[in-house]
Amino acid sequence: MVHALNEIHRILKPGGTLIDLRPLEDSWAVEVVDSTGWQTIGRLKDQEIGLADDEAANQAMKAAEANRWFSQSKNTEFPFFYYWDTPSDMKDFIETEWDIYEKIDDALFKKTAAAWASANADARVRVRVKMWVAVWKKT
Amino acid sequence: MKAQKDPENKEGKLLNQFVDFGKKRVLEVGCGEGRLTWKYASASALTIGIDPDHSALRIARVDSPYNLHEHVHFAGASANNTPFSKETFDIAVLAWSL
Repeated sequence: MVHALNEIHRILKPGGTLIDLRPLEDSWAVEVVDSTGWQTIGRLKDQEIGLADDEAANQAMKAAEANRWFSQSKNTEFPFFYYWDTPSDMKDFIETEWDIYEKIDDALFKKTAAAWASANADARVRVRVKMWVAVWKKT
Repeated sequence: MKAQKDPENKEGKLLNQFVDFGKKRVLEVGCGEGRLTWKYASASALTIGIDPDHSALRIARVDSPYNLHEHVHFAGASANNTPFSKETFDIAVLAWSL
């Protein structure tokens, strides 16, 4: 990662901007949403590899700052939603696409399915992903 | 099973609030299928998306809006070793890739 940041420093013009945009592991919330609103059902379980990836990325940016390649000008967090039509679609996606990063346990899946079934006909399920964006200036 | 990602476009809105892409030369690292690229590229002077996943890049090229064909390009490369000269870009976007 640090090598990649060095390469980005090389190809940026003086005073150029680096944007670091990525999800952060945070036991992402599972929600049921319909036309009347939304409710949080529970949280996914972060896996070790995802937490380690976050830490490695943070350490790489610290190294880039220590090397005086970049200085941070601003940052914020914001929610990013993944939606599915049914709880089963969500479960399949989590187990195939996020399997090394997030787990959904059976109890949470059943609770989500029950909440979805009792919600309005337009109900969907979603996962609230915590996103991080930081703007860095080339120094 | 297909997920709908960020239909509210929170990501695109925040990105454009945070950074002025107008007339800038932009490198997007880890562009994948170009999902994020289309949210800012129309304002830029030139956007190049790189990703080592050639299958994803093929989709990005196919999905490229007609009005962006002239100034959005994709290349198979990783951030560790890019094919660009030094001091080429105004903005680099690490898109879910650090």
